[in-house]
Amino acid sequence: MFEIIKSDTKINFVSKFSITATLSLILVAVSIFGIVTKMDYGVDFRGGAEIQLKFRDAVALDGIRKTLTDAGFKGIAAQSIGEPVDNEYLVKVQGDESNLNQITDQVSSALSNTYASAGVEVRKVDIVGPKAGAQLRISGFQAMLWALIAIMIYIGLRFDFKYSPGAIVALFHDVTIILGVFAFFHVEFTLQTVAALLAVIGYSVNDTVIVYDRVREHEDRNPALALGTHINNAVNETLSRTIMTSLTTLFVSGVMYVFGGLAIRDFFLAITLGVVIGTYSSIFVAAPVTLFFDRMKGKEQGSAAKA
Amino acid sequence: MKRSWWYRFIFLLLVAVTSVVMILPTTMDFHEESNYPVKSKINLGLDLQGGLYMILGIDFKKVYKEEVEGYARKISNLLKDEGILATNGELDVADELDPKISLVLANASDMSKVKDKIHEFYQGYIRITADTGTNLQIALTKVLKTQIEEQSVSKSIEVIRNRIDEFGVTEPEIISQGNDRIIVQLPGVKDIDRAKDLIGKTAKLTFNLVNNEVSPVTIQEWITKAEATGITFKKGDRFSTYLNGLNDYLKGEKLLPAGWVLAFEKKVSKVTNELESKIPYLVEENTALTGEALQDARVQIDQQKNEPYVSLEFKSSGAKLFEEITGNSIGRQLAIILDGNVYSAPSINSRIGGGRAQITLGSGGFNSVMKDARDLALVLRAGALPVQLDFLEQRTVGPSLGHDSIDKARFASMIACLVVFGFILIYYRVSGGIAIVTLGLNVLVVLACLVGLEATLTLPGIAGIALTIGMAVDANIIIYERIREEIRKGVGYYKAVESGFDSAFWTIIDANITTALAGFCLLNFGTGPIRGFAVTLIIGIFATVYTSYFVGKLLFEFYMDKTRGEDLSI
Repeated sequence: MFEIIKSDTKINFVSKFSITATLSLILVAVSIFGIVTKMDYGVDFRGGAEIQLKFRDAVALDGIRKTLTDAGFKGIAAQSIGEPVDNEYLVKVQGDESNLNQITDQVSSALSNTYASAGVEVRKVDIVGPKAGAQLRISGFQAMLWALIAIMIYIGLRFDFKYSPGAIVALFHDVTIILGVFAFFHVEFTLQTVAALLAVIGYSVNDTVIVYDRVREHEDRNPALALGTHINNAVNETLSRTIMTSLTTLFVSGVMYVFGGLAIRDFFLAITLGVVIGTYSSIFVAAPVTLFFDRMKGKEQGSAAKA
Repeated sequence: MKRSWWYRFIFLLLVAVTSVVMILPTTMDFHEESNYPVKSKINLGLDLQGGLYMILGIDFKKVYKEEVEGYARKISNLLKDEGILATNGELDVADELDPKISLVLANASDMSKVKDKIHEFYQGYIRITADTGTNLQIALTKVLKTQIEEQSVSKSIEVIRNRIDEFGVTEPEIISQGNDRIIVQLPGVKDIDRAKDLIGKTAKLTFNLVNNEVSPVTIQEWITKAEATGITFKKGDRFSTYLNGLNDYLKGEKLLPAGWVLAFEKKVSKVTNELESKIPYLVEENTALTGEALQDARVQIDQQKNEPYVSLEFKSSGAKLFEEITGNSIGRQLAIILDGNVYSAPSINSRIGGGRAQITLGSGGFNSVMKDARDLALVLRAGALPVQLDFLEQRTVGPSLGHDSIDKARFASMIACLVVFGFILIYYRVSGGIAIVTLGLNVLVVLACLVGLEATLTLPGIAGIALTIGMAVDANIIIYERIREEIRKGVGYYKAVESGFDSAFWTIIDANITTALAGFCLLNFGTGPIRGFAVTLIIGIFATVYTSYFVGKLLFEFYMDKTRGEDLSI
């Protein structure tokens, strides 16, 4: 048998929980700070226009900005995207309900006048009104919220309610850290990112459930042993599967990230991060939280028995 | 393990063959006339083939305002018939979603009688919000507002559908979202400004007299003659191009009488957008009356005959014109034309004064007449009461970008597959080979389901498929790792495979259901391309459970049978 992880690993994961808990807490705190202060919301959520342009010849970003400023636009952001040889640029301008309809026209006419010789082609235009943006924001968060609730209920019913908090804390942990990375690296938060986050939620809970499944199996077979022992055994036994699956999923998302083109890059960035963080959290977050809640319950019962 | 795996094998074969049959038209180009049973291809989303995606919002504030004003006018007219004098007073739009209007009575003593009349005629539609002295304030009821919302949405969709025809878009999608939004998707449309112009403008309703001196047979002969010269209409063409060509040709040949042109009443399938039939009319080039003359159009039911009809109400200026036209043309037909298409051509039976007219529809079952009446009223009101559409969201993708995206995503998916396949083949050897077969089938089933459900494949959808492969591998890994564990315990190969599959079953189900829950949430709240991702994800999950577990198990049983349980390469 060809094995990456030896089949008889006996790593004491539970003993490392205090270190990982500290690490996770710091990461989550920093991420929340980043989300609140630095998050770069895309046109989907804040409204405005986003125009993707391709030029035949190279042009200077400053030139694009100047042309648009001169044409009277506000909140202009221009950046080059993709490989430098592609001469592709993303231009964002602010807009409100009244002028959204004409923005594309105005932007492309302003640019084509100046850059007629450089051959400008409008490849993609996204225009979202502020009202629609607000609606999209609400539905995006609703989707995530309902997914969390549905998963919590399912885990509660299928396993035991003592497992639900662990899974939910792990999900919250993963989503927060991914958003934190997005905020610090100025990756735009768009509708696609929401989809990716939900996929991550699916993946992360998948990972967690598989560990829980084992824990439950052991508990059923040997109820006398402590939960911590069961968790250690379960994590060790599923370690090989966890690593294998993470690797194959990482291959897919990594390849899609590198070769899949600009349009799905952010999507797969979120997935790639999600796989790494999700794998970590199913071992080092979900299980300890379950253990923590179990011990709290034990203490309560213990003190109740004394009294 | 000599269980009867035959029926499972046949089912597997059925799934595989059906999938291939479904996908073939997408990968190969069949001729339209070929006898191949499957016609549909995978529907590519706008982000992949380029085109225009818009979300339009209906401004109900304006609609409500006009409705409440219209009712106030109607009530004053009704009261006039009863000998009570009332004039429309102030409009109160403090709450724009609930505008109120006052009626000023000449005589305060009429108040109770007026209230009775409103109750009698407009109960359920109009509510009285205040009555002080000679001042009576009315507003719309919730029931009526809901009705207006529904009508406005279906009316707007009708109008938009009509105009989209002008583009020659083969597969437009116009659907309502919620109660005040319409999503319009126009694949392949590049001329955004024209599209927006057309969709945004108010409907043009006209009434034109029909020539009844030229027989339908003659008209048909003209059309046949014109079509023989190559002026024909095919799906995807602009209908107006065909119509103009036809009229120009007939004018050139001096067949059309001066001042008359052809117009068509066409039936377009609401499902396939295909033209089902077209009836030609010879109509007067000069418009007798426009939709502006119209005040209101509603479906009513003739109590005696139990027959629905459409009642028209003209504005005072329109009423005079209408009386004149009907007086001069008794016995002729008047075509009702919306945006160039004839919707109905009722006959004029008598001179109609007073600004009120009735259009009775042909015979037929009550429900079908009712439907026709509703459609006609909708058309008439589209001209009379323009709904303002606001552009809330608009996304355009150039065709070259769509092409680039699809190429890149396809290339990346293939590389990803190869890497994963190579990896599991090295890691699990023969068993890895089985996994690859099930994964291949998985992708095949997902694509076939997309064809079968007529779902749209979007860029995130491709991402969903790629992700499905990653997750489907997981199901295989869970099973194989279990089998390895059993083997390590020293259990025989037969037993190891069996208990490996058994103990992995609920793990796979649990893992996939939780992912599916996330998928359903996406489907419910997401828009556009995001839904595309959710659809492929959910289909992928079902396919995964079937292929990885059931097909995998079948193939393993087959494999164990061949080696008589003495060898297992895993």
